[in-house]
Amino acid sequence: MNVTDIQTALVTDTRNRIAIIAGLAVLTLGGNLLAMVLGAPESLLPLPTLPLTIPIIIASYWYPRRGIPVSVCFASVYAVTTYILSPPGPLLAYTILLRAILLVLIGGVVAFLATKLRESEQQMNQIIEFLPDATFAIDREGKVIAWNRAIEEMTGVKKEAILGRGGYEYAVPFYGEPRPLLADLILHGDPETGYPSVRRDGDVLVAEIHTPLLRGGQGAHIKFAATALLDRSGEVTGAIESIRDVSDEVMTEAALQNAGRQLSTLTGILRTDLANRLAVLYGHLSVGVMKFDDPAVLSFIDDLNNAANGIRRQIEISREFRDIGTSPPAWIPVQQAVRKAAATLSFGNVSLDAWTERLEIFADPHLATVFTHLFENSLAPATKASRIVVTYHLRPEGCAIIVEDDGTGIPDAEKKGLFAQKAESYGHGLFLAHEILAITGISIRETGTFGTGARFEILVPPEGYRVV
Amino acid sequence: MAATGIRPEVRELTSAEFPAANEVWRDYHGTIGEPARDRIFATFLAGQIVSLARCRGPRPGPGPAAARLAGQIVSLARCRRHPDGLEVDGVFTPDACRNKGYARMVMSALVVACHNDDLYMYAVESLAGFYAGFGFISIPERDLPPGIRERYTWAAGNMEGAEVRPMFRRAGLL
Repeated sequence: MNVTDIQTALVTDTRNRIAIIAGLAVLTLGGNLLAMVLGAPESLLPLPTLPLTIPIIIASYWYPRRGIPVSVCFASVYAVTTYILSPPGPLLAYTILLRAILLVLIGGVVAFLATKLRESEQQMNQIIEFLPDATFAIDREGKVIAWNRAIEEMTGVKKEAILGRGGYEYAVPFYGEPRPLLADLILHGDPETGYPSVRRDGDVLVAEIHTPLLRGGQGAHIKFAATALLDRSGEVTGAIESIRDVSDEVMTEAALQNAGRQLSTLTGILRTDLANRLAVLYGHLSVGVMKFDDPAVLSFIDDLNNAANGIRRQIEISREFRDIGTSPPAWIPVQQAVRKAAATLSFGNVSLDAWTERLEIFADPHLATVFTHLFENSLAPATKASRIVVTYHLRPEGCAIIVEDDGTGIPDAEKKGLFAQKAESYGHGLFLAHEILAITGISIRETGTFGTGARFEILVPPEGYRVV
Repeated sequence: MAATGIRPEVRELTSAEFPAANEVWRDYHGTIGEPARDRIFATFLAGQIVSLARCRGPRPGPGPAAARLAGQIVSLARCRRHPDGLEVDGVFTPDACRNKGYARMVMSALVVACHNDDLYMYAVESLAGFYAGFGFISIPERDLPPGIRERYTWAAGNMEGAEVRPMFRRAGLL
């Protein structure tokens, strides 16, 4: 159907409507006239107006702006003919006048309601029209009742060419053939929609496909989302479906995954190479310890050994960095994570009190690594801590897990950049801890007082913790 | 220590273990723990129990609580969250287990675990000195949060008559 066809159909439709109204008017007014000419029973005089309300209601509904003029016209014809042809009576004029006014009122009320209905439809169409996503809607019969500007741009199909069409024609721009879309699945539970995976998000069905027909034949990844249109009683009257071109997001995601894989491979190679060379270095240092007995040389070797240990630790951290975010977050018992972290470290004379028995938080599975790095800071000999305490504190803004020690604490000047990625702080792993927590929106800060100990507060948002 | 091989352990109870605490509290005003607002701490006698004839508490019975109990509860303390403050109560050691330091252990644990908040309590008059050792100080009853004060409304302010003393501990580690 082209534009000319649609215009022809519209004109034909208008003519049919006018013919129907005119026919009904002639029938009812003519019937009245005929009855009066032939002599209707006195009990029926003046003749009732009920039949005449039918063309008035129809005309006012179809043409609300002309509803009142048409009603006045019909009422006038009725009043004049009835007054002239009816036998004279004491209240005849008043009776006819009241009935004529009633006809005009009926026409006016229907025209008013129809106008409001049209305005509401117009508003809805405007909303759909200016939605940024390509959107169309179908009625229960599967005929297109809305086709917005965005979908015109996406498919190249103008609304004039598609409105009122059924038979799955709206699928042609996407699939090259008429076939059910998600909206049909909403209406009929149509099993032939053929989407590889349809998921339900509340009342909305969502699916993604790749179609070779869009973007000028280059193909596009598109995401469909459809939901039912309901009337006031909750009955399904149609369905609305929006289509979003997600090609850019899909390509970006694929590129990022590729880059991530390549980066992971590269860092893996570097890590292995570094570890091998480090093993050689440890070998030389071991030989050196056996070969020399000069205290100055041994002290020098010890320094080298400490530096090598630092490199080894950084290799381990880089391995942990590789893994974070690779597994989905989960509800993790904090006490278990603390125990797991503690099991990997040597506490010596430092005590650990953890009081988080019933607390669970929604976090990356590497949560234990966070505690490992926090404990490592407390256990560093320079810290001089003798006690580490882990507790939690429920606050209006969430739950704070507090890791504190009684060591020297952290100078104020160092606090600001404590969790930043810097060469000199990288080895402390606090940046890694920060990144692991940030995956699920958890923040960390240091609130201790220098001289009395370090105090790390891990702030979990309200929806991210539970006491079981 | 009552017997060789008995090792006291202090930890917070899981929700599944609350019924075991309720059993111990049966002789202590019928106190009942509520997982939604209580944290309960307990001293357990874990390991090989060789001589506990004089120190009886609830034995682990059938059910999930029993599965978790690795020993016998010999002392309890509770920290209850009210809308306007935290109240320490339910500090209780069965008669047969007293004078062994179990209550001190469990109170130390509670005070450390809950040290981020101010703590309030109605201390039994004779134990005010015991609680003072954990940083609690005596306060006028009017200084207690209203939600905590409600419990002793019946005493009409006569704390001496009720043989209790309102106490307060400011937030902070021991």
